[in-house]
Amino acid sequence: MWKKIAMMSSALLVVVACSNSSGSSPESFPEQAIEIIAPATPGGGWDMTARSIQRAMNADGSVDQDITVVNKPGGGGEVGWQYLNQQDGHFAAVNSSLLVTGNLLDQSDLTHEDFTPLAMLSTEWLAVATHRDAGFSDGTELMDQLREDPQSLTIGVSPSLGSGNHLAFVQAAVESGVDPTELQFLVYSSGGDIMNALLGGHIDVTSNSMSDLSEQYEVGEIDILAVTSPERLESFPDIPTWEEQGIDMVFPHWRGIMGPADMPEHEVEAWDEWLSNMVETDEWQTVLDNYDLEDFYMSSGETGQFFEEQQDFFAEIIEQAGLSP
Amino acid sequence: MDLSFVLDGLWTALQPINLLWLIIGAILGTIVGILPGLGPATGVAVLIPLTFGMEPVSALILMAAIYYGALFGGSRSSILINTPGDGSSIAATFDGYPMTKNGQAGQAMSIAAMASLIGGVMAIFGFIFLAIPLANFALNFGPAEYLFLFFFALSAVVALSIGNMVKGFITMFLGLGISTIGIDLQSGVHRHTFDIPHFTEGISFVVIIIGIYAIGEVLYNMFANKQPKDVDGSKIGQKWFTKEQWRRSIAPILRSGPIGFFLGVLPGSGGTISSLLAYSTEKQISKNKKQFGKGAVEGLVAPESANSSAAVGSLIPMLTMAIPGSATTAVMLGALVMIGITPGPLLFENSPDLVWTLINSMFIGNIILVIINIAMVGVLVKILKTPPKVLYPIVLILSFIGAYTLGYSTIDFYILIIAGVIGLFMRLLDYPIVPLILALIVGGEMEQNLRRALVIYDQPVDMLFASPITIVLALLTLLSFSYPLIIKLVKRASKNKDHTVDL
Repeated sequence: MWKKIAMMSSALLVVVACSNSSGSSPESFPEQAIEIIAPATPGGGWDMTARSIQRAMNADGSVDQDITVVNKPGGGGEVGWQYLNQQDGHFAAVNSSLLVTGNLLDQSDLTHEDFTPLAMLSTEWLAVATHRDAGFSDGTELMDQLREDPQSLTIGVSPSLGSGNHLAFVQAAVESGVDPTELQFLVYSSGGDIMNALLGGHIDVTSNSMSDLSEQYEVGEIDILAVTSPERLESFPDIPTWEEQGIDMVFPHWRGIMGPADMPEHEVEAWDEWLSNMVETDEWQTVLDNYDLEDFYMSSGETGQFFEEQQDFFAEIIEQAGLSP
Repeated sequence: MDLSFVLDGLWTALQPINLLWLIIGAILGTIVGILPGLGPATGVAVLIPLTFGMEPVSALILMAAIYYGALFGGSRSSILINTPGDGSSIAATFDGYPMTKNGQAGQAMSIAAMASLIGGVMAIFGFIFLAIPLANFALNFGPAEYLFLFFFALSAVVALSIGNMVKGFITMFLGLGISTIGIDLQSGVHRHTFDIPHFTEGISFVVIIIGIYAIGEVLYNMFANKQPKDVDGSKIGQKWFTKEQWRRSIAPILRSGPIGFFLGVLPGSGGTISSLLAYSTEKQISKNKKQFGKGAVEGLVAPESANSSAAVGSLIPMLTMAIPGSATTAVMLGALVMIGITPGPLLFENSPDLVWTLINSMFIGNIILVIINIAMVGVLVKILKTPPKVLYPIVLILSFIGAYTLGYSTIDFYILIIAGVIGLFMRLLDYPIVPLILALIVGGEMEQNLRRALVIYDQPVDMLFASPITIVLALLTLLSFSYPLIIKLVKRASKNKDHTVDL
């Protein structure tokens, strides 16, 4: 009986663990299938990003090898990213600001420095919304009330404390002179759950991505008070930015892609070419349209620079939010 | 409601290509439902790449068919080998497996399929007439309301183990304990994760279900049950149920459909709670109470009708509000957005054709499913004739594959084995399993809602009086706990009366 279990588990382990970590020469790269790691279960945002990249890269055709997607969920990306670092340059993993914040929040030992940046791909902008009956006309008015009484409103965020949704609100609060540690944040596991609570009047305010808010905004169920983009969004010209309201902040919620540590120069160059071609495809544009995302492409060099800036940026907000370990 | 949309939808649903996808979805759904661990969420997720090239409406038809098809298939392994593959088919083991032991496997499977059909069709009518108002009513469920809903569900299930309540509470608390593993949402603190990254998202309740039921059942039969063949393989009964069984089933089916539908609409409650509550309701009001757990057909059809209609119900918040109410609808939502359908309040206005095609295809799909499932009865009962030395290794292999597909991690294999051993001891020591499973499923959300409610309400007692809903649910909770006691008192009283008469 136990033998049977042991045998079956080991058979599965062999199937799971077949990987290859040989180096490559500039001429022959890629010499095997390209694998894109989604550090999450099928169906979520990271999975969708990985599959969209696969689809657009296939449409572009710069890579003459198969492109596959593998799901490695767990630990807020940690499992998939650890797995990436056991591989070579044929592998790449999807990431987001969680890569930077996870370490700052002491939830992960990994930082962006443990990987090779390949590209920034897309961003969504975050916004602050209230129920239409709440009667706030803009973000300043909301912050004025919170300055008077930080406990007077409950603020729903997802999917965790320290997420982009949470920290964007913290930054707006700090810039408005509100003490973020006094605020009442309620954490929900998804943007859908938050909408449920906001429409039902169980929370007062939410900080969430535009794509999670746009449907209910269009039918007039919720008001959007401010968006974190540098300029007004093309598709929502009526929503003012924080900048316009005198709050100095731009807060992208980005997604990018990275390779394992210490990739050779020629492999990074190959990825730079593939990805810069990929973001030009119609398939990629359709993906951005369907998910209300904006193009945020940066090459590998620019991405490395951007990671450094984000590291400092998040370190400061996390400290202000009182979340530093 | 415009009749031309209904007819257009019917026409689109009947297009050969859409019928083909519907049949494929129904068959795939039935298969993933039968196999332990391969639930509809996995089934839909695996098919996402396939949907890229499809018409949006075909993709929606396919995904929905897998979803409700899995509910038809789910009861098969519960009835035949006492191993539910998912939370929503647990209740089918209570009386479905005893029916098999009584030599009524064929009848059990065919009447369970009929129950799923009727439950599903009732829910489709509910969808047509009540989708929007119900979705709005569901918004009234805030932290306090969910908290009391979960209290009620737990109390109803613990109350099922009458005469064994202490053990019921013990396993319930074990389940609640396991549900605390992982990152705490409200504070971000890692609880009992032992630095294993895989544990930060908690222990999957489906792995525990497969472990306790499938692995536990195999272990029990190998080590403890001296006569592993307690089912007489030659006696599989008729394939078609009797008139008497039908007469007893019809009322429970009709009562359970609405229960399932309504609980399905509430985000986050779903198939498991609705089938368990339908079972406990039926048990408490039935005249054949004594037969429940020993092969009462009412105890099989009630949960089957409820979980089938819950699946249709849970499509409502997903489609009307873009709020997924279950793991499967969450995966569906992501896939729909990817292929360019944006669920939400505008979907019914902007794409009524899509919605009506889905509704019509669900009608056709339910009928196709009942045909598939009843046609398969003859093949499936052969499982009972399979010798254990062939059957059990297959069950084990499927369990391990199923567990792997849930988290893509080998750590789940250890959890599976540990859960199997726990399941073995629970059987040996006669501890009820269901309170543990339900507590594990609802425990996490119950705690998070309690924590949110504590922030929202200044005094804990305010939660109780938050709305009429919380008061009703609190009363129901009280009732289901005290019900066994009341029954006892009434019995004693009537006995005393009898005595006085005797004297």
